[in-house]
Amino acid sequence: MKSKTEQINNSEPVVAVDIGGLILKNPVMTASGTFGYGKEYAPYIDLNRLGALIVKGLSLEPRKGNPPPRIMETPCGMLNAIGMENVGVRAFIDEKLPFLRPFDVAIIANIFGETIDEYKKIAAILSAAEGVHGLEINISCPNVKKGGIAFGAHPDTAYEVTGGVKSLTDLPVIVKLTPNAGDIAEIAESVEAAGADAVSLINTLTGMSVDVEQRVPHLKNITGGLSGPAIRPIALSMVWEVVKRVSIPVIGVGGIMDANDVLEFLIVGARAVQIGTASFINPRATLDILEGIDNYLKRHHITDINDLIGTLRDGCPTS
Amino acid sequence: MSDVMSLLVGQIVQNRELVPRYFFLMSVKLPESLATPLPGQFVMVRVRDRRDLLLGRPFSIYAFARDKTAPVIELLYRTTGRGTIALSRLKSGEYLEILGPLGHGFDIFPEMKKIVLLAGGIGVVPLSFLASHYRKLPINDRLRIIAYLGAKSADHIVGMDRLQETCTDVKISTDDGSSGYHGFVTELLADDMESYLHGDSVIYACGPPAMMKRLAKLLGDRPISCQVSVEERMACGVGACLGCAIHVKAVGDKTRYRRACQDGPIFDIREIIWN
Repeated sequence: MKSKTEQINNSEPVVAVDIGGLILKNPVMTASGTFGYGKEYAPYIDLNRLGALIVKGLSLEPRKGNPPPRIMETPCGMLNAIGMENVGVRAFIDEKLPFLRPFDVAIIANIFGETIDEYKKIAAILSAAEGVHGLEINISCPNVKKGGIAFGAHPDTAYEVTGGVKSLTDLPVIVKLTPNAGDIAEIAESVEAAGADAVSLINTLTGMSVDVEQRVPHLKNITGGLSGPAIRPIALSMVWEVVKRVSIPVIGVGGIMDANDVLEFLIVGARAVQIGTASFINPRATLDILEGIDNYLKRHHITDINDLIGTLRDGCPTS
Repeated sequence: MSDVMSLLVGQIVQNRELVPRYFFLMSVKLPESLATPLPGQFVMVRVRDRRDLLLGRPFSIYAFARDKTAPVIELLYRTTGRGTIALSRLKSGEYLEILGPLGHGFDIFPEMKKIVLLAGGIGVVPLSFLASHYRKLPINDRLRIIAYLGAKSADHIVGMDRLQETCTDVKISTDDGSSGYHGFVTELLADDMESYLHGDSVIYACGPPAMMKRLAKLLGDRPISCQVSVEERMACGVGACLGCAIHVKAVGDKTRYRRACQDGPIFDIREIIWN
């Protein structure tokens, strides 16, 4: 990497961030479940340019997922109830990971279990695989009957899962938190105490939509997880809340559509962000966002993005 | 990089109401970088600058032409909800976001003599594109294309003009008997089925799930192959969101989900589990 002075001379701001020991070349990550296993978006963007690529949540065994209809658009958002369909951790390593290895990008595996033992087993398997640079523990999926949110809704179980995974891996561990719990900051404190290297928030909010003509839910699962710009202000306030309560890096997630949205999260204290639903609408959203961040930093003469993080000022905008 | 696909901005050439507040025909001029679409492929279409209408809508391609100025795609669509209604209100000259062409097209069988098309309502769209594609093949002279077109009623028949240009014969059925055969379009096909079982015919179908289910039952294990174009709600269109799950048979007694967008939207009718 270039020295800081060189960067300034070239007027290219430093955008690298440190997420619990994992150095990302920029703070823009893909949100799990919105970017497939990476290959799906390779025809559209240069994956090397991402800060990190978080793959679809992986379980110990393959999962079939929920019956359709699985998604529904709602105002400024969408509901999904995919049900953690995935190829399973072993097929991921054998069939999906080889494609990703040649890329110069941090690969983070999102993991999901129905029991704490399953989380630990998946973590151990992935830790032994070449080409996985971090783990994100999903204790926040609202669309499955067992596991997921069942662990993320209570500080004690969140602690137990995090501690269990940490005991079996040397990889940086991010814990993805649910907004559907009582006090998200309390859960964040608990997973920090259990050794989490970072937290990401928020996962989707539980939502519902009904066809009034036929009086049936739009989703076969009845409820689903709400994502998209509709949830961004909620995500932002939760990140702001959590940043005040933990000292580990916080990753902002929820309805980010453009660079302006990312900057909001960074200013309130997020160290990095994840882009989800925006990639569905524009496969190049992540890279457009990176360019927008770069422009902002130059315009504000900020030479290192870390100097922007957590710099929310008092007061309100003046006209 | 020229080999990188991206979201395109298209300009509406025309957006015409064919059946009031129901069927619309839109042609969209696109940048040169648009890949040539195959019959059966689709595009994600999105109204620009409308975050309330967040997602693109998947539309089968009705026709494609690369004229002197730019590639133009035609979309024939039905207004079913907020997204399609918003699209129907756009005027010529306005802009749209288009991603595609996406998914797999229909398999083409140049050795066949009879091409049988079974369309239910708006299902005519990919089949009409397919018929014009077959007409451009060198085998055109000996090719018979027979279309079976079903609709709710006479005033809900769309795509007829173009089928009459490309097909040897177009047979109509309506649910209320206001035009052609009174009954299901699958019954119309059933009457002719014997003539298609000599190894020289293939069936292509697209229509509502009830029609597809009747067709699957009609075909059973008769010796004829049948490809269908399926529809499901989509978010991304590129295989990432897993929203557009189609229930299919798997090894043994097992079943699994495949993605309408990338594993389809064309499937063998016998692969799908029709509920």
